[in-house]
Amino acid sequence: MKKALIMTLLVGMVATQACAADVIKIAITGPFTGGSAPMGASMRDGAKLAIAEINAAGGINIGGKMMKFDVTERDDEAKNERGALIAQELASMQDLSGIIGSVNTGVVLAGDKHFQEKGITKIITPAAGSASMTQWSKAGVKDLSIFRFAAHDGIQAAMVVEEAINRKLLKVALFYDSTNYGVSGRDDMLDQIKKQGDKLQVVATEKFNIGDKDMTAQLLRAKNSGAQAILIWGIGPELAAIANGMAKIGIKAPLIGGWPLSMSNFLDNAGKNGNGTMMPQTFIEEPITPKAKAFIQGYHKTYKVTRIPSPVSAAQGYDAVYIFAAAVKQAQSIDTHKIKEALEDLKEPVKGVIATWQKPYSKWDPANFDTHEAFRRDQAVMGMVKDGHVVFANDADRQRLIKSATAVKGKKAK
Amino acid sequence: MNESVVAQMVVSGALMGLVYALIAYGFQLTYATSKSINFGQGELVMVSAFICLTFTDLGLPYGIMVPLGLLSGSLLGLFVERAGVRLALEQKSEGWILLTIIIGLLFFSASENIWGRDDRPFPTPIPSDAIQLIGISVTPVEISVAVGVFFIMGMIELFKRKTLLGKAFEAVSADRDAAELMGISATRTVMLSYALSGMVAALAGILVAPITTVGPTMASALVLKAFSVAVVAGLDSGFGVVVIGLFLGALESLTSYYVGSGWREAPGLILLILALAVRPTGVFGKAVIRKV
Amino acid sequence: MLKRLVLILGAEALLLAVLAAIPITVNNSFVLGLLTLLMIYGILLIGLDITVGYLGQVNLAQAAFLGLGAYTAALTVTRFGCGMPTALIAATAVGCLFGGILSFPALRLEGPQFALSTLSFMALTTTALNEWESLTGGAQGLQVPRPPLFGAVLQAKGFYWLCLLLLVFVWIAMRNLLSSQWGRAFEALRDSPIATDAMGIGTLRNKAAAFTLGSGLGGLAGGLYAFNFQYLQPQVFVYDLMVILLLGVVLGGRKSLWGAFLGATIIVLLPNLLSNRLLFQIFSGTGFLLALAAGIRGLAKKSTRPFQAVAPVVAMGMLVVGGIFTANTEDWRKAIFALMLFAVMVGLPEGLMGFAASFLTHLFRIAPPPLAEPSALDAVLVKKETDDRPLLELHDLKHYFGGVRAVDGVSLTVRSGRIHGLIGPNGSGKSTLVNVISGLYAPTSGEILLNGKPLVKGSLFKVAHRGLSRTFQNLQLFSELSALDNVMVAMKGIYRSPLPLVLLGLTRGNEKCAQADALALLEMVGLRDDCRVPAKDLPYGAQRFLEIARALARRPDLLILDEPAAGLAQPDVIRLLEIIRRIHERGITIILIEHHMAVVNELCDIVTVLDYGKIIAEGKPEEVKRHPKVIVAYLGSTVESIDQKKYPGQVNAVPVPV
Repeated sequence: MKKALIMTLLVGMVATQACAADVIKIAITGPFTGGSAPMGASMRDGAKLAIAEINAAGGINIGGKMMKFDVTERDDEAKNERGALIAQELASMQDLSGIIGSVNTGVVLAGDKHFQEKGITKIITPAAGSASMTQWSKAGVKDLSIFRFAAHDGIQAAMVVEEAINRKLLKVALFYDSTNYGVSGRDDMLDQIKKQGDKLQVVATEKFNIGDKDMTAQLLRAKNSGAQAILIWGIGPELAAIANGMAKIGIKAPLIGGWPLSMSNFLDNAGKNGNGTMMPQTFIEEPITPKAKAFIQGYHKTYKVTRIPSPVSAAQGYDAVYIFAAAVKQAQSIDTHKIKEALEDLKEPVKGVIATWQKPYSKWDPANFDTHEAFRRDQAVMGMVKDGHVVFANDADRQRLIKSATAVKGKKAK
Repeated sequence: MNESVVAQMVVSGALMGLVYALIAYGFQLTYATSKSINFGQGELVMVSAFICLTFTDLGLPYGIMVPLGLLSGSLLGLFVERAGVRLALEQKSEGWILLTIIIGLLFFSASENIWGRDDRPFPTPIPSDAIQLIGISVTPVEISVAVGVFFIMGMIELFKRKTLLGKAFEAVSADRDAAELMGISATRTVMLSYALSGMVAALAGILVAPITTVGPTMASALVLKAFSVAVVAGLDSGFGVVVIGLFLGALESLTSYYVGSGWREAPGLILLILALAVRPTGVFGKAVIRKV
Repeated sequence: MLKRLVLILGAEALLLAVLAAIPITVNNSFVLGLLTLLMIYGILLIGLDITVGYLGQVNLAQAAFLGLGAYTAALTVTRFGCGMPTALIAATAVGCLFGGILSFPALRLEGPQFALSTLSFMALTTTALNEWESLTGGAQGLQVPRPPLFGAVLQAKGFYWLCLLLLVFVWIAMRNLLSSQWGRAFEALRDSPIATDAMGIGTLRNKAAAFTLGSGLGGLAGGLYAFNFQYLQPQVFVYDLMVILLLGVVLGGRKSLWGAFLGATIIVLLPNLLSNRLLFQIFSGTGFLLALAAGIRGLAKKSTRPFQAVAPVVAMGMLVVGGIFTANTEDWRKAIFALMLFAVMVGLPEGLMGFAASFLTHLFRIAPPPLAEPSALDAVLVKKETDDRPLLELHDLKHYFGGVRAVDGVSLTVRSGRIHGLIGPNGSGKSTLVNVISGLYAPTSGEILLNGKPLVKGSLFKVAHRGLSRTFQNLQLFSELSALDNVMVAMKGIYRSPLPLVLLGLTRGNEKCAQADALALLEMVGLRDDCRVPAKDLPYGAQRFLEIARALARRPDLLILDEPAAGLAQPDVIRLLEIIRRIHERGITIILIEHHMAVVNELCDIVTVLDYGKIIAEGKPEEVKRHPKVIVAYLGSTVESIDQKKYPGQVNAVPVPV
């Protein structure tokens, strides 16, 4: 047993020393097994696709030397404890330039403090829970090495509420799953309803557990309270159980909610009952731009699928790598602190599959966590389920994105 | 209290309760012959459902897929018996509890890797559009669950009473040693019970999959409830599991409507602990006389 | 003796020194994080081992106690601003409290039912932690600052040393406890709850104590867990974690502190091991070769069943093959864990540490600890004066099983100093009568008086404390325990050692006395040389004698021997006669149930004959034997018509029809 420990240490040290100096070491973490795996794995695969492209082109020129990316993968199993240990492991690695990943907000909350302590640059994607960044605002941290590359729940909740108001609905039911993600989504929605002028009356607040199959009780209560729409925040296949349950007891109200509604397990399992469901999206698996087309085809070919399990995660993983690479190039260093500084002030626009990113981040200001958030309201669009696929809910968004792909898009000033 | 709501909740809960009862019945079959149960029964339900899904993907029609699925369930049951239970029974130890948990873990991990971690829809020729029966919405799929549960339990009970093999089964259940003296192989009977139990698990998977979808975790919640049902009813009462299953399903459903959906599992669990404390052999179970 | 001390204590001291020194030499926060977790899991698994190993019950609630402890510690800090010591004490106390509460329903259960009730408790705990949002923060989780310890907030290293220190305390206290009367009682419970009760050791209080203690350690580990991760969520403490914990205990080796520690090490290091493919291949290859070697050896020596030899090889073989062909071993983590466990469970039922311990003992030729000199028998079984007054009186005792009248109105007086025979054909109700007297069954009606005072009905435990002791027709030995421990379990007197003193290891003197007394009893039944042999490995006759020695350890006034000669060979029967006479000489009254008429003739002063639950005759053995009703009862007809023809010359020792 001691032997095993020593061996782990030895191998770890040897591994770190052997490949120092001539590669850019980055780590990808996320749940690659278990219930959140579709998101974690899609993110990882999207990111690896970008890395493969960069490496195939020879790598990044740093001080005249072409350096390639070297990836360490860690499966956090969506478990906080694993996440914390992995964070400790990565934080103590020599020469690690940065980390990309995390799906579960709980894992972020358990682990990120170790990165922040050592000042290691991390780009969170696709975890959207608000607390991931607000925890640093609350703590009043002066200098932060954690960035996020995802449309956080605040944005998404705003869009969901807005959609309900635009449809002139008055009574809504809030549904959320009993995970960190669901509960914080509920709070964000309640917050947004207040912010947008209390135009919606919440007639039912219903919770469901991971693994629940029978949602009759919650749906009946929503129905009996006269809800005109169901606003939902959840992660997994339970979303499909809700859509199917709605069909069963004859609720015709629209289902609007967080982006996991675009995941394959919802689309497949809800079938025709999923039609019309709406959710904010940062990326829609439609080859509307050449970049998107190349990405979708590349993904399908490399991973032998016909549909990306979680297109949003994959696209965000992909773009996050390009943004990170741009920071490395600008910093002309593999030092994680310098990369952090470059990220806070990216000079060149980065062409990604979601958008062309111009100055996605700025110097951290604890009073404004948006400084380390890449996404603004206008990078997200409303998606809608149509026959097992997510399409643009508003054609205007589609046209806007096609247009902006050609012109360099400016960033909304704060 | 709204009566139509109560009726709706009771009916949809009770139909789900029948699935618990069916899985619990699988526990009883093996408990009768060997005083052991498969703690990885949920994984059998899940793996069988995945196998059926694969058969369907291969293009087999529903009518052929179902018997093949039941057969694979039986084979899996036999595997569990051989690898996890027999040795422990021979050594008269309770090692089977851990071994069946371990085998369940193996099945779980293997399915995750073979079939993926995503939940998938399960095709069925039975329509899932709700129909109204006296003001209550039920889907034909749910009705098929009820029909399937009663059919298979009826068939197995008939088999136990009317066939020679079935009588051997009953003999070993009643008194293992005496049955052995009469030339009935207890080992084979235990194998038979595990095969039947695996078949029941497979059927549960086939029946419930159109409702729950197929995924590695599809049965983990179901099986916990089935444990409750089996223990509360008593591990030797086939009639009891149906009653308790219906009751627990309805109770859960009502709890989640009137107390809060997060608490839906609580009554079952409290009932289980209480039932065990007050009547360890279950509500419908036979009291055991301690002999020394 | 010295060698033993040096090797065992030396190994522990070395481990401690290495663990304590690592943070000084290695400056790596990851290693420190792993080690801290290892300490926490070490405490947790030692607690779990009490129920799983010593009580032999599959406990699926330890993860819940970890969670309860963690949340308690967190809430005492966040709500009440307590310091670390208070928080940890509170966490332990809450673990103990809930463990105590749960032990009551769980007490009556065995095997699968016990496992299920603990499983339910765990699910219930997770639900409550998740739903009680106002207190626990629900699914959002709870951020916990690490509170100060005596004014100073511990950094990573300091916290690690604190965890190490607590593990050492737990380790020492548990070793003291488990090698004491308590530990023996826990194991006795596992092997035979009925005999444990009959030996005057309450199954109830011991089970409750064991469970409470294990849960308390779970709570303590939970407190440390909270301050280590500083962020809690209910969904951490679920079935998945529980399975891993349970398997850690089994893999490491049950009933062993080292085993629990080894199990914790495996759980903590395994995920890291799997992320390195080469390391995993080396590891699985070694495991395969070991399994192969062990399998071949086992088959050659015929010490294992073919399945036990082959299955581990197959399981490890699958690991090797899988390790070569699978690109990402991490995805298969659970399957790998399952295969390893399967191999260990089947091939090494004692776990890795159990195997290693016997191997090392053999390798270093470590002698077992020396025994005390036996006490004088007179000191153990003080000679009592007998006065022929009624010792045990039964008045119209009845016990029905449904419609079966097993005991149907028996009135009987057993006088002090007698050997009172109780005979009757099979099914005549002898054993039921004895079971009613000794408290296994509560009588349907009737009165039992011992020494003129009513005897508690239906409690083996309470009856045992009134000075009545018994043996069992179907042996109820503590089969895993050694002969010596079997007797020591029943030793009256040492049981009263207060728990705090036991934990501190201050009761060793008592232990020595008990051992000396037990050896005296074993010497009396001729088993002193076999005192270290596990009871299940003794020859059948010796097991019978061991039960008698164990019953005597209670220093009873009244000893009930339930068919002691059943199945004994002739030389053993002679030895039995000798033993019973010697017991009788000490002034102990004996009720002897026996089929063996020669034994009854030899020993009994008075014989009562039962048939169909009623007394049909009573008197001196030779009178009773000729009693016509007795002859009819045994032979179904009169002795004159059948006996002389069929069994000529055997009238004196009536062969009992089966």
